Amino acid sequence: MIRVRSTISCPSVPNMRASLFITCYNDTLFPETGRSVVTLLERVGVELDFSPQQTCCGQMHANSGFRSEAFSQAKRFVHLYRDAETVVIPSSSCVAMMRDQYPGLFEELGNDSLRKEFAALLPRIYELSEFLVDRLGVDDVGAYFPHRVAYHASCHGVRLLHLGERPYQLLAKVRGLELVPIPNAERCCGFGGTFSVKNAEVSSAMLAAKLQDVISTRAEYCTALDNSCLMHLGGAMHRQYAGMRTIHLAQILASTEGAPAEETR
Amino acid sequence: MSAPADSRQRILDSIRGASVDLAVKDRLDQASAYAALPRAYVRRGALPRQACVELMMTRLREYDAEVVECAPAQLPATIAAQLAAGGKRSVVAPAGLPAEWLVAGIDWKIDHDLPVAEIEAAEGVVTACFCAVAESGTIVLHHSATEGRRVISLLPDWHLCILHSSQVVETLPEYFDRCVKPPALATYVSGPSATADIEMTRIKGVHGPRFLNVILVRDEG
Amino acid sequence: MNPTAEARPVLDPLFAPPFPQAALPVLRNPQLRKNVAHAIDVIQAKRAKLVAEKTDWQELRTAASAIRMHVLENLGAYLEQFEARCTAAGGVVHWAADAAEARRIILDLLRQENASEVIKIKTMTSAEIQLNPALEEAGISPFETDLAEIILQLGEEEPSHIVVPALHVNRSQVREIFARRMGLKNLSDNPKDLTNAARTFLRQKFLTIPTAISGANFLIAETGSVGVVESEGNGRMCLTLPRAMITLAGIEKILPRFQDLEVMLQVLARSATGERMNPYTSLWTGVTPGDGPQRFHVVLLDNGRSSILAKPKQRQTLKCIRCAACMNACPVYRQTGGHAYGSVYPGPIGAILTPQLMHMKHAQSLPFASSLCGACYEVCPVKINIPEVLLELRAQVVDQERKQTGRISDPMYLGLRIANFFFASAGRFHFAQRMGRIGLGFFTGKDGWIHSLPSVGGKWTQTRDLRGLPQQSFHEWWAARGKETK
Repeated sequence: MIRVRSTISCPSVPNMRASLFITCYNDTLFPETGRSVVTLLERVGVELDFSPQQTCCGQMHANSGFRSEAFSQAKRFVHLYRDAETVVIPSSSCVAMMRDQYPGLFEELGNDSLRKEFAALLPRIYELSEFLVDRLGVDDVGAYFPHRVAYHASCHGVRLLHLGERPYQLLAKVRGLELVPIPNAERCCGFGGTFSVKNAEVSSAMLAAKLQDVISTRAEYCTALDNSCLMHLGGAMHRQYAGMRTIHLAQILASTEGAPAEETR
Repeated sequence: MSAPADSRQRILDSIRGASVDLAVKDRLDQASAYAALPRAYVRRGALPRQACVELMMTRLREYDAEVVECAPAQLPATIAAQLAAGGKRSVVAPAGLPAEWLVAGIDWKIDHDLPVAEIEAAEGVVTACFCAVAESGTIVLHHSATEGRRVISLLPDWHLCILHSSQVVETLPEYFDRCVKPPALATYVSGPSATADIEMTRIKGVHGPRFLNVILVRDEG
Repeated sequence: MNPTAEARPVLDPLFAPPFPQAALPVLRNPQLRKNVAHAIDVIQAKRAKLVAEKTDWQELRTAASAIRMHVLENLGAYLEQFEARCTAAGGVVHWAADAAEARRIILDLLRQENASEVIKIKTMTSAEIQLNPALEEAGISPFETDLAEIILQLGEEEPSHIVVPALHVNRSQVREIFARRMGLKNLSDNPKDLTNAARTFLRQKFLTIPTAISGANFLIAETGSVGVVESEGNGRMCLTLPRAMITLAGIEKILPRFQDLEVMLQVLARSATGERMNPYTSLWTGVTPGDGPQRFHVVLLDNGRSSILAKPKQRQTLKCIRCAACMNACPVYRQTGGHAYGSVYPGPIGAILTPQLMHMKHAQSLPFASSLCGACYEVCPVKINIPEVLLELRAQVVDQERKQTGRISDPMYLGLRIANFFFASAGRFHFAQRMGRIGLGFFTGKDGWIHSLPSVGGKWTQTRDLRGLPQQSFHEWWAARGKETK
């Protein structure tokens, strides 16, 4: 089921430089994911830079109908990264925002020069698994994580980024890891950004259904490429003493025998 | 309260006003735009004839239609056998049904404007058809003289349909290709009526004939 | 007596409670949730199998989407062509700008027919214009003839799905309704027996009531024909036996040519019921002497559709062919069923169509009734990008809110405006993080987790914990590492 491309396990792109866009919520709530991304990418030979000027991509505002606010944040993002060689983002929903909504925002509210800048920047933006598999040509990052793991395929990753097999390729090469499939894998977990509070009860009903599927795998960890989904799933697991934890894929990939993964506790 | 002509004009004006963004220079005219629509879907089936006809019969049987085959010369005898097997004696027939199909021993009600009550009281109906689509097991009725008015293939509980193998096509687009011009009336039958409205339990035979029998006449080579 | 223990849902956007509120009684109804999940699982499984088998499925979707958009871009011309051809074939075409006018036209036609009763084929459009109450008020009895619609009519229930409207009602509930309203004391709850009861009940109606009302799945401009797609045969009954026939159809139901059915019929049945083809499809053109109703009227309905047409980003809403695949795929609908949407059009399509038909004056909660997962777009046979339209409508609702004086008191509105302020610079953002750490620190337990928050936060902590804000953000860690770039 998991088709593995044969690739070399050492970085194949010399002098690879990349700018890390950590995302507003990872910076504030999940710094350990960021630390793992740094550990992981430096291990595969990427020279990372990080601009402390970064804030947010504007997704929350765009999805809530606050378009002019989202535009101002999007514009700021483009100006900050217009000269970046490559941008890596450990969040598929933020990358989806850029690919799916930035063009429309800039069409409606921007000007020609901004549109040109963004058009030039867009091909250089990568979600983490895309960066590893497509840009670096790597699926074995030397990871060791001897646990039973279930992978939650978040909606943005599946339907907007078409990540496909990439996360599975990466997971397949993690030594010691036992991957178990989640039933109804492509069904939304119910987070949906502000939906989780604007429609909290419906979101919780969707969460309950999803949690049943995830818990049924008897995995120790549920992982994903988005801490947004994991915050929602993990928040319920914690509340219910469910005996499972969430962990971002970056933390699994950063984990080695010598330096095991940083955990969400 | 607006006069009818006013509403018509208001609606059309509203539509015209709504299409202002489409009045761009290089836009194709309606006919060219229609001709340029993408149609990369499958139009012609790839099955050889025998397999296509077999598929049609498979689909019919999946829908619990009873299917028997015969050679053209055996058709009247097969009709008689089907009617006998079904215990049908009082049967409606379209006005244009071929005479040799009106087998003996049956009280044929030829539809020269039969009253509804008589059609309702009949035990069955025999018709030809225009064509059949194997992929979906669809029988196409154009309600010609050999197929009859719509009511006669609707009210009786038992419908015997005569289908020639040469009338079977594989795909739905092939049926449309066979239409020299669009029919004024058409009914596409893809199985007995059904409902899944109660707990998604599929119950067959709500209205319309609950029993569909097909005689597949092997008239190709 | 409504056995589902739910107050009768209001399917009128003018009066329906907002979605989050309307969903609550449904979420607490295990029976209904089980019925909904079961129904959509059945259809989804059948659909998936047939889509996998159809090697040109994506090409069909592309063609279907293109045909429907082409119609919308040339709607006026195609409507006029339909009118001319239908009229030439003996039909009479009427134009109704809104629901009230449509009701008026239909009532006038029924009075001309001296109709005291009318048989109906299921049509969403007639529910949209609230036809039945108007008929009853005028002393005309409408008889629904679809099994689901009878269940709803006799049981005084509201539809919760476009294709399987009574999916929220289980067999014992149906038995109870039929036993009571058809006077059948010994009726079992076996679906076969229930269906037979309905068949017998309706037979007499079909054979004796001379006037019928239908909707239309397709109006063919080239020929002036009308196409109706069904499973039960009640449609065939209603459009063959009566003397007079009235078809009510939204102006967007047009297809250019008869041949375009070769695409639409292939995608419709697979999407709606998971079948290669639905049992019966009927096509008729005006009046055919000697066959079927000799008086035939088409009422073309605008009722807000032309205003949707006017908005380029929203126009795609009108491509809809009412297959309901979107709601079968929707994880929100799966939990709430249709009633929570407060409209005859529920689910993802309802979330975009209903507010637009209301000119964005009502049903403003519906565009937010989605987690934007995109499953609907994936299955839509005519490729309506429902998430895109949802986002567009959300922006319009917020723009309305900006003008309202009460907006500052809405914590969600205020919170988002404030968040934008803080995202505008790194200095502000980092300040907000430090303040957040202090503020949320008050709510953080010894285990480092937050179990309860006030206001909007409380909506999160109703069912989820939140890990307390880490003492060091990522950017602070990076700075401490001494590898800062300017």
